[in-house]
Amino acid sequence: MDMKEQAEVMTPPKMELSLTINGANYELQVPPTKRLVTILREELNFTGTKISCEVGRCGACAVQMNNQLVNSCLVMAYQANHASIITIEGLSGEELDPIQRVFLEEGGFQCGYCTPGMMMAVHALLATNQAPSEEQIQEALSGNLCRCTGYGGIIRAVQKAISNNNQK
Amino acid sequence: MPIQTSSLDKKKKIRPDGPGKVTGELKYLTDLSFPGMLYGKILRSTEPHAEIQSISTELAKQLPGVRAIVTYEDVPGLNGFGLIFPDQPVLCEDRVRYVGDAIAAVAADTIEIADEALQLIQVVYKKLPVIIEPEKALHPNAPKLHPDGNLLHRAHYSKGDVEKGFELCTHIVEGTYELPRQMHAYMETEGGVIVPEVDGNLTVYVGTQHGFKDRYQLARILNMNESDIRIVSSPMGGSFGGKDELNVQPYGALLALATNCPVKIHNTRRESVRAGLKRHPMKITMKTGVDDTGNIISHKVKIVADTGAYATLGPAVLDFAVEHAPGPYIIPNIEIEGVSVFTNNGVAGEFRGFGGNQVTFALEGQMDRLAERLQMDPIEFREKNLRQVNSPGPLGQKVAPTSGAKDVLEAIKQKLTNITNENDSLEKWKVTGTGVAISIHGGGLGAGRMDPAGGRLSFTSEGKIEVAFGFEECGQGLLAVIETLIMEEFHCMEDDIHIVIGDTDSVPVSGSSTASRATSMVWNSIQRMKDTFRSKILERATKVTGLPVEDLCMGPNGIWFKDDNLCITFVELAEKTLHEPFIKVETSFDFPTSPDAVVDGSHFLYAFSSVLAKVEVDLLTGKIKVLTLDQAIAAGPVVSLLGYQGQIEGGGIMALGYSLMEEAKMENGHYVNDNFDTYLIPTIQDVPFVMNVEAIEKLQDGDIYGPRGVGEIGTIAVAPAIVKAIHDATGCWISKLPVSREVLLEHLSSRGEKRWI
Repeated sequence: MDMKEQAEVMTPPKMELSLTINGANYELQVPPTKRLVTILREELNFTGTKISCEVGRCGACAVQMNNQLVNSCLVMAYQANHASIITIEGLSGEELDPIQRVFLEEGGFQCGYCTPGMMMAVHALLATNQAPSEEQIQEALSGNLCRCTGYGGIIRAVQKAISNNNQK
Repeated sequence: MPIQTSSLDKKKKIRPDGPGKVTGELKYLTDLSFPGMLYGKILRSTEPHAEIQSISTELAKQLPGVRAIVTYEDVPGLNGFGLIFPDQPVLCEDRVRYVGDAIAAVAADTIEIADEALQLIQVVYKKLPVIIEPEKALHPNAPKLHPDGNLLHRAHYSKGDVEKGFELCTHIVEGTYELPRQMHAYMETEGGVIVPEVDGNLTVYVGTQHGFKDRYQLARILNMNESDIRIVSSPMGGSFGGKDELNVQPYGALLALATNCPVKIHNTRRESVRAGLKRHPMKITMKTGVDDTGNIISHKVKIVADTGAYATLGPAVLDFAVEHAPGPYIIPNIEIEGVSVFTNNGVAGEFRGFGGNQVTFALEGQMDRLAERLQMDPIEFREKNLRQVNSPGPLGQKVAPTSGAKDVLEAIKQKLTNITNENDSLEKWKVTGTGVAISIHGGGLGAGRMDPAGGRLSFTSEGKIEVAFGFEECGQGLLAVIETLIMEEFHCMEDDIHIVIGDTDSVPVSGSSTASRATSMVWNSIQRMKDTFRSKILERATKVTGLPVEDLCMGPNGIWFKDDNLCITFVELAEKTLHEPFIKVETSFDFPTSPDAVVDGSHFLYAFSSVLAKVEVDLLTGKIKVLTLDQAIAAGPVVSLLGYQGQIEGGGIMALGYSLMEEAKMENGHYVNDNFDTYLIPTIQDVPFVMNVEAIEKLQDGDIYGPRGVGEIGTIAVAPAIVKAIHDATGCWISKLPVSREVLLEHLSSRGEKRWI
């Protein structure tokens, strides 16, 4: 293979990708195997979604795709076509989301690098279960690694979100 | 109650960088991009030890989209780096010593092209024997990895006569403790963007724990003036010591200069693991003897640390381990010998706890085994030998008086009375046990080391109290510490403050954000500056308002008259005094050190911890679940409640991983587990649902040093407490981390422990 061919391998044919991200529509030309996390971060500058293990183990890149929590490092462009994506940037409007608020109040983060993915996971949990048990919290967040907090602050934040919900 | 403090007025405060973190708006340095930015990749050795016979970049250069390739020939200055001495080549010329050694770096239009170019660089190696064991590296016939041989550093301390001491002992315990290579596993891998500026200067947006030190090292490599390099070093997605040494900066800088374009390098996890620092694996042999009443008479320690291919802070880590080998105990006869040895394994260096974790595991293991021999309660045995308020430090040096050791032990004793060994589980094959361990941990770099501190307070033309420190925000919560202390001191509001950190162009020298020193040095700096700053502000307010200075004080949003009337806001004051000289107060001083320390690196200020662990052991599978992990910490006043709690809980869980699951295994110089699919760190499923932290805030009367840092102390005594709890549950002593289920099951079955049948 000469250098020119090699270069062609590096620039594969592109597809038309149509995405809804945080309610807005995007049309892009990308290789079909381009990962969603790269599209979000590099093409569209949604850098709130983080990148860490790139093998679907840490949850730093977690987003919601068609209301399902997914690791965006494991989703390729063709799999995301016509999907609706919610990233951390779409979690709050003018006001902070109640989950963001309790993370701030209870110290649910330190370096903050796992935080966007973690909050997407908490959001996905509380959207389907208003009053999860300890086991359900642990189960739902077991795909999101945090190296700073030891999860203490995260657990307290989730518990506060639940009790705030109950008081409503 | 998850955190308990001595004073009740502490409140949870939202940290200044919090909103940006929870909304995803905060830009980490690896999130940055610049117009015309290229992507960099680093070619690292495939061999753990080899001669380089040739490097050919010709083919790679022809790949369209490749913009520059640099090798050793392109390093304009010193081709070496290292915080103590620069023995690690930036780009290897003729030899590689570990699989992280860099040989070439590529800048290209895309990451994919840069990756492909790496494949096209041809390196011909001649393999050399791979040294993977420190003991073999020390053999006289072993190949020399560095000109001076394979011994990086030897550290020694002795007092009394240990051998004579052992003759007086009724019980002697001797054991060898083996500690693994641990990964920092910060969630954000190393990276950032290096930008060549139009004036020929260079701006380096890459996380580090000491911006000025990076600037110094880069200037030496690039043959540039330090003043022509600007380091923007924060925020970071975690560091824990791992980003203290240079990582991608030299490569990004060389490529940026070669292409005159901004270059982004962001390590993948695998690249990070391969090149990055780890915690030193250590083998520690301790022989400790007691008399029949339980007084420790003699303590002999031998430490062998595998420092890997290059020095970085290896010598200092060993010094720290040697210093902390006697722990918080009074022992008349001591002999400690430590060696840190070069091998072809991954580079070991600075990591939260800094050698203290390893040596405390061994020491507390000895304490528990001795207590068993003496048939004495392990807490009572510790109390009997514990340091007192005015005792000298572990190496006999004068230290700031502290009752910390006694206080943490007392606190954990109270917690122990509330916990039972009752097995809540109905499953008969599960047993539970509890364990307690304590630790002492020095703050600052220690005696004989350059350890400058300092800060700056100014009043800006916008009417802000600007507070500047040469520290970094790694996630530890330093910004919250600074904000809290300024608000407490000047009774002002968050909005009145502008904090500047992590940028060598605009911060004063404060030293490194390491060694549990930043909080402590922020507090000390503010103490030195506050009165001058306040009086300058109030004098100016008097000039403008005509009100007597003695009736004025600083308060929320401005200057208050007799405490109850805001007479001029900070903004108005700034507007009305624009023509006046700028108010600026600076301080610089050194971290306090012991006046009579004889051993380099020994400390003056110490923090203490005690840990209570309760575990459940599954006798069928060997699985260990930590049910309780409570800590009591004596480190002076709490500054930031959430930050303090987070450091202790987070440090505790990092140490839980160290105890039970984490080991960066190497086989013949290659990493075996290089990502989170095989290197497992604790998940939310692996931690106790509730952890309790007790902060003992008391300082001795007349103590002028304020809060000690708590960045490391929460990691130190966890492993020995967990291992003691496993012993309590099963009767098995474990001496090697992480605890192997197989070893535990073998122990159990060899003793016929099948209680569930």
